[in-house]
Amino acid sequence: MNFKLTEEQELIRKNIREFCVKNVEPIAAEIDEKESHPADLFKKLAEGGWMGIPIPTQYGGAGADYLTNAIVVEELSRSCSSTGFTVSIHVGIACMLINLFGTEDQKKKYLVPLATGKHLGAFVLTEPGAGTDVMAATTTATKDGDAYVLNGTKTFISNGPIADTYLVFCWTDKAAGRKGMSSFIIPKGTPGLKPGEHFHKMGLRSSQTSEVVFKDCRLTKENLLGAEGAGMGNAGAAFDHGRVGIAAQGVGILQAALDESIKYSKERVQMGSPIARHQAISWMIADMATDLQAARFLTYYAAWLKDNKLPFTKDASMAKLFAAEKAMHHTTKAVQIHGGYGYIKGAKVERLMRDAKILEIYEGTSEAQRMVISGTVLR
Amino acid sequence: MAGIWIIAETREQAFELLGAGRSLAPDMGTALTAIVRKGAGPPEETIARGADEVFLLPELPPDQPFGAHLPVIEQEAKTASPDLILFISSARGKEMAARLAARLGAGLCSGCTALAFDKGSGSIRMERLAYGGAAIQKLTASTKPVIVAVPPRSFEPAQVVDGRQGKTRELPSPPPSAVRIIEKKPKEKVAKDITEARVIVCAGRGFDKKEDLALARELADALGGELGATRPLTEEMHWLSADLCIGLSGVQVKPELYMGLGVSGQIQHMTGVRGAKVVCAVNRDENAPIFALSDFGIVGSLYEVVPKIIEELKK
Amino acid sequence: MPVVVACFKWVVDEAYIRRGAGGALDFSSVDYKIGEYDRNAIEEAVRLRDAGGGGSVIGITVGAPESAKGVKDGLSRGMDLAFFASDPSFKDLEPSQTAAILAEVIRSRIPQYDLITCGEGSSDLYAQQVGPRLAELLGIPCVCFVQKLSLEGGKLVTDRRVEDGVEVVEAPLPALVTVLPDINTPRIPGVKDTLMAGKKPVTTIKREELAGSFGATLKTEAMTASSLERTGEKLAADAAGIARFVDTLRKSGVIR
Repeated sequence: MNFKLTEEQELIRKNIREFCVKNVEPIAAEIDEKESHPADLFKKLAEGGWMGIPIPTQYGGAGADYLTNAIVVEELSRSCSSTGFTVSIHVGIACMLINLFGTEDQKKKYLVPLATGKHLGAFVLTEPGAGTDVMAATTTATKDGDAYVLNGTKTFISNGPIADTYLVFCWTDKAAGRKGMSSFIIPKGTPGLKPGEHFHKMGLRSSQTSEVVFKDCRLTKENLLGAEGAGMGNAGAAFDHGRVGIAAQGVGILQAALDESIKYSKERVQMGSPIARHQAISWMIADMATDLQAARFLTYYAAWLKDNKLPFTKDASMAKLFAAEKAMHHTTKAVQIHGGYGYIKGAKVERLMRDAKILEIYEGTSEAQRMVISGTVLR
Repeated sequence: MAGIWIIAETREQAFELLGAGRSLAPDMGTALTAIVRKGAGPPEETIARGADEVFLLPELPPDQPFGAHLPVIEQEAKTASPDLILFISSARGKEMAARLAARLGAGLCSGCTALAFDKGSGSIRMERLAYGGAAIQKLTASTKPVIVAVPPRSFEPAQVVDGRQGKTRELPSPPPSAVRIIEKKPKEKVAKDITEARVIVCAGRGFDKKEDLALARELADALGGELGATRPLTEEMHWLSADLCIGLSGVQVKPELYMGLGVSGQIQHMTGVRGAKVVCAVNRDENAPIFALSDFGIVGSLYEVVPKIIEELKK
Repeated sequence: MPVVVACFKWVVDEAYIRRGAGGALDFSSVDYKIGEYDRNAIEEAVRLRDAGGGGSVIGITVGAPESAKGVKDGLSRGMDLAFFASDPSFKDLEPSQTAAILAEVIRSRIPQYDLITCGEGSSDLYAQQVGPRLAELLGIPCVCFVQKLSLEGGKLVTDRRVEDGVEVVEAPLPALVTVLPDINTPRIPGVKDTLMAGKKPVTTIKREELAGSFGATLKTEAMTASSLERTGEKLAADAAGIARFVDTLRKSGVIR
């Protein structure tokens, strides 16, 4: 058993941390407030190769492992959860799915610009009436000769308003049940694809979220990702990879909550001593540090399984469930430790708490994770 | 022959080093030799301020750097074998001290903040800062001579003592140096030397843009002081001249009052103001490290607080 | 096509040093980094190579075997190859020893070079000696505190910053410079830079493979935590706070 990261992983963590301190931390509060996508920052992320870490070098990636990607998402999220998530969904889902299931032509055409960060990807699955219940989706791709014609409305699509490449899941044969869903790669600007307006959210505000509407959107077989009917399987792979990213995001938020709580509690004096010396506070911090470590181990373990080509569906769910719930719990505590100051806009812990909540909801709610985990352990 | 040597480029440097040398010479029971540029001032004055012997460095052609004297000084040092050689840690002083140390195989304590002779053990005890100012390194020499470079204004200049006698000797001109000066661009005197300032208002990253520094200048004027800056403002934004950069890698200052505006209080910066009598701060982040390193401070936006301080000062 | 040697040091990141009991330094949770100023030295070497249309950048560091990670970090910053003088006894060296070891590595292993770049000082000891000492030991010209430099026709032309201004200085090659932090903006290595670093050639040299005794000239008697702490009274930004702030200034006698 070896808990030590490789020298490369340690150096990459150090570099992305420095990158974040210089480029992310200073703008995080502002892009949250303005709900704006930091295009300049993403240009810098692309230049450093941070947008395609686990993708092979021949497709524009860095050819590193998935654990390295998790470390980078963690560090980005420690400074700005929105940025960490945008990278996570772009790499963990958009890039990974094309890398896993795309044809050579699709990889050249779509994966290279994605993995080099010139393009941004989006994962288009959720519908107004189909969240956890994927089978309730209504978007269809109807065959018209060799073409497919898409109709339907997707919602809560991260990167929806700004993506260059959309991975869309819809029914090609509703009657075939789980085997009737297919996935498509659709470039922006395709006639009939219409991203909606940015939703105003409680947290994760600089991540751009919208509806994506399809109205007689005509596609060819070249847009099909994997075989017809492989959509559900592809979505499963998307969730497995994506959830490791969300877990890493939770770890980053937990680390930030701990950083802020330690700093503040050592400075803030009440009743004659720094509040860190008050047991009520120091125990909160002890619990926070412990859960952070546990969340990090779960997350790295899930990534390690993936890197070693072992099944990791249950482990990704466990990591995501634990990191999400602990992030929510401890960011609330971090605000508590900060008292009134923590409730004021501009306090980092205030943003952390708002950003944490979504972790329990997207890419499978905590309830959905428990379904996956119990389904596996009770099998 | 043993002894204490001081090597100086300017009159001011020589007097400060003589001050340091005189504080050690009686206990060490040794003579004090001053090696000074000939053009820096009359040798009689150097003797009156404590030198027992003066070696004059001849004037050099304009393209020759001060370091050109090195081979001559090296030869003299090998002949005379002094116990201690003192430099001022100016840019030229630091370079020359290190190069002389290499030539003599000697130890060099650079940026020396405390210097004493321990009569009991007969050793020279030196202190300097390490780890960005987080630590104090205490040193003794294992070899002779030991070379020490002290920051400017670490020692009071030696005073004139009437009736002092001493010898003067002019050293030979050195061979031409391979390093040649082809142009000198004197510094534009935008501000007074902040190392001399009684009050320093220091601007930090809390300023949003260059124009806003007018606010810091206005406060400095109201306090009769000078403007200083943290490293990001001089080295990254280039808003102010580099010689206003306070800190371990900039200048060390000893004002009566240091006021940091929007200065976070990184140790590398704060080490540069450790000699200040009063340190105070205005910063909107109540967790900024500068508060723990200040005597007092205001938690608030400098943009709101500074105009009010100026107003209050006018009352 | 210049051959530039960049010297760098893998140092304790001072941000992780804590104040232990009785003023001792607590290194128990420290991390390491490439010295801040050394990053400028490496960046400048890489810039000169790229501007010179080829050539190479050779990194050199001296340290305990644990510094191997630092070699990789250095290589990720654009250097082509590295020499690592590694020995358990090469920990906590003083500048005279480091310079002597570097000089021996260069003399014995690098037959031809145009320029040596060093940071203006190390991030840990900041003694600012290794560069000029190394130049003397190699018998080459030395220009310290350089804020701008170029290589022109076998010559080095630099702007060096001194107290009274800037001197434009030239020297024949090979030469050594120490560079100031504003000479360039060091890159943050990207993912691929780090992954490629491990594939670049590194020559590890043990102490017994170097001629010389490398004895110390100074003895560190103690290294203790320094304290800059003051009373740190925090006042509010309201009228009362500002009045008290100015009043305290007046009472302390620093305003005339």
